[in-house]
Amino acid sequence: MSNEESWFGRFVDTLPTKGWFKFLSKYVVTPYWLWKDPKPKLPGGPRVSSQPSDNVQRMMNLIMPLKDPSEIGKARAVMAIAQNVDEIFGGLDNVGTVHFARFVILGDKLCMISVYDGDFSNYIRDFIVTVGSVFDAIMAEIEGGSALIPTEQNVEAFIEWVHEHDLFQAPDFPTELFTLQDQAKGIGPDGPVHDLSTLPRNLVLQFHSNPDISLGGGYRAYPGFSAAQIREKLGVGW
Amino acid sequence: MSAEFDPNAIQGNIVRGYGIHHVRYLMLEVTDRKAAREFLVASLNGENPNVPIIQRETEWEENPEVCFNISLTFPGLQALGVSKKNLATFPIEFRDGMASRALKIGDFGDSAPTKWAPPFDEPDRIHLIASIYSDSEEHLDKVQTQVAEAFNILGTRDGRDLAKSKVVFGYVDSISQPKFKGIHDKSQNKNDELLDPLGTILLGYPTRMEGVYFGIPSPSELGFNGSFNAFRVLSQDASGFENFLTEAAEFLLKHPNLKDVLPPGGARQVGKGFSRKTALREIVAAQIVGRWRNGVPYELSPDTMEPDPKVSLTNFDYNRNSRCPVGAHMRRCNPRGGPIVQRVANLTRRIVRRGMSYGPDFDPKNPDDRERGLLGNFLGANLGAQFEAVMYDWLNLGLQHPDITGSNDPLLGANSVDTSWFDMTTRTGGKIRLHGLPRFVVCRGGAYTFLPSIAAINYLSQLKN
Ligand code: HEM
Repeated sequence: MSNEESWFGRFVDTLPTKGWFKFLSKYVVTPYWLWKDPKPKLPGGPRVSSQPSDNVQRMMNLIMPLKDPSEIGKARAVMAIAQNVDEIFGGLDNVGTVHFARFVILGDKLCMISVYDGDFSNYIRDFIVTVGSVFDAIMAEIEGGSALIPTEQNVEAFIEWVHEHDLFQAPDFPTELFTLQDQAKGIGPDGPVHDLSTLPRNLVLQFHSNPDISLGGGYRAYPGFSAAQIREKLGVGW
Repeated sequence: MSAEFDPNAIQGNIVRGYGIHHVRYLMLEVTDRKAAREFLVASLNGENPNVPIIQRETEWEENPEVCFNISLTFPGLQALGVSKKNLATFPIEFRDGMASRALKIGDFGDSAPTKWAPPFDEPDRIHLIASIYSDSEEHLDKVQTQVAEAFNILGTRDGRDLAKSKVVFGYVDSISQPKFKGIHDKSQNKNDELLDPLGTILLGYPTRMEGVYFGIPSPSELGFNGSFNAFRVLSQDASGFENFLTEAAEFLLKHPNLKDVLPPGGARQVGKGFSRKTALREIVAAQIVGRWRNGVPYELSPDTMEPDPKVSLTNFDYNRNSRCPVGAHMRRCNPRGGPIVQRVANLTRRIVRRGMSYGPDFDPKNPDDRERGLLGNFLGANLGAQFEAVMYDWLNLGLQHPDITGSNDPLLGANSVDTSWFDMTTRTGGKIRLHGLPRFVVCRGGAYTFLPSIAAINYLSQLKN
């Protein structure tokens, strides 16, 4: 409809910029649709694939709410990391499958952003096996973190917690969103066909359950190689 | 929690095998909760002659005539009335169930759950998988009839040990197996591998990972001393496998570096009376698994399947110059102390295997395509840390070593002819790459199950809701 070269089409196109329309969609339309068509929270992290090349260089965007988001609380988190950073990076080195990892403080959250190869659970488990006791100091600054300390004795719970706090990765092929939303509701591939024009609306609704998301799989300069393969090729040992 | 281990507290066939050569698996649905609970009560106290008794883990001189055991799926725990709160304390892999984890463990294409054989195509209806071990058909039938009184039998599967401890592709199997401190396993007398901590197989004990305990589901009566199992019906394409060995041998015969694999006149050293082609077929078979088909480890005896003097079947390790290929099946599943990318993971992903073959014998001289394969049980205290970790990162993908990353297990990986490869090692430290491996092993069904302790079976039998 909005593509029609009619006055009405042009009118609809300008709607998103109109104040009254913004107001209406925020307080009436979106809540109404959310009530009518709720979208369960979509799981975080990369999805498993049958393609080996998709199973290396996977992204983790772990977003951890700070217990105390004040300036002082943030500084405490920075201290906890600074005091343990060598051990944490040493631990990541021992895990062996990690390309990059870094910490970011964003608003009231502490983020750990990393690129790793293979299975998420193995990555987190091996990480805890090597530096769990050190990472506990960081978890102590995180909301909900105390329940998981010592992480070494709560490995499964910790893995699930990290998975829950890993950002949902919006698919590279936009229409895959339909499939993921269906899956989350337990609807199989034989479910009803989706009208392509409803994609934007479905994205809007999804933001209600996943307010922060990662956009697609990201850029890779040398796709398909594991960290160890690159190290081997560079002759730096793995 | 850590405790003294009491063998009478757990079911048999977990920390060591039975040594009985026939098994029948019953896939069961709970249709009458009360009848199911009464069955469990009787299976523990033995007061009803029409209910088989759960076989406990005790050492015996002579095999009992029949051993009966049970395992439960997540829908099974629900069906027996375990509370929502307690159900939530089971690990995520088990709660999801095997069919939901398909992509992760390589069950796609012909192995996809939508193609599984009944009753596995309806995973939510499979509540229990019971096993009857007995060398008498009569006993198998009798126990099956008894079980049918309390449960709806959705399907059965019969397995048996093939002659000379072999499996369908002609290898001797069940040689390497975790062994546990304080548990005497006759069949493993000659196994001189490192002992594994009990936490590898049972919940509530220290694991190989320092300081790490796997979570015990609640209440502890239900979770403590429990174990998990990945039950798999794996069909094996025996003629496809033999054909591949022939193709590979023909490829090697024309290869410019043939002498690095088999020097002139070397065939008879490989095995008595072997032609060059036979010798090459057996070398390929040995490198694919990491053992010659008679069980001799390739690592200790790369030039012959009949080493003189004999070599240990289990006492060896891998290193950077190993003759056993990094991609060989058993090195992928258990890299032992050899170099791996995940430096902290050596020996932490051990799997206890209990399996038997199904289907008719295969005669390589008269090949046929009837379905046959392995009824496999892959046991451990944590499905995610053991079975799935091995399936996803090591068997497929090959993340443990940069030289095999991007390739799948040659024997049972999710291979496709166009993209698969396997690097053989040569006598001179080089490699020869084989291409075109098809998928020899296809999953026909399976389930993740929980192996409850005796106290847990009692707990389940006493639920009231
Ligand atoms: C039809 C499928 C399979 C066949 C024909 C097969 C065959 C074999 C053979 C011949 C061996 C060497 C014998 C031995 O050391 O005991 C072996 C070892 C082993 N396999 Fe498999 N296997 C199959 C599936 C699997 C699967 C699905 C897994 C794991 C998820 C697995 C894990 C192991 C392990 C852990 C070892 C012992 C390695 C060691 O400790 O050195 N196998 N297999």
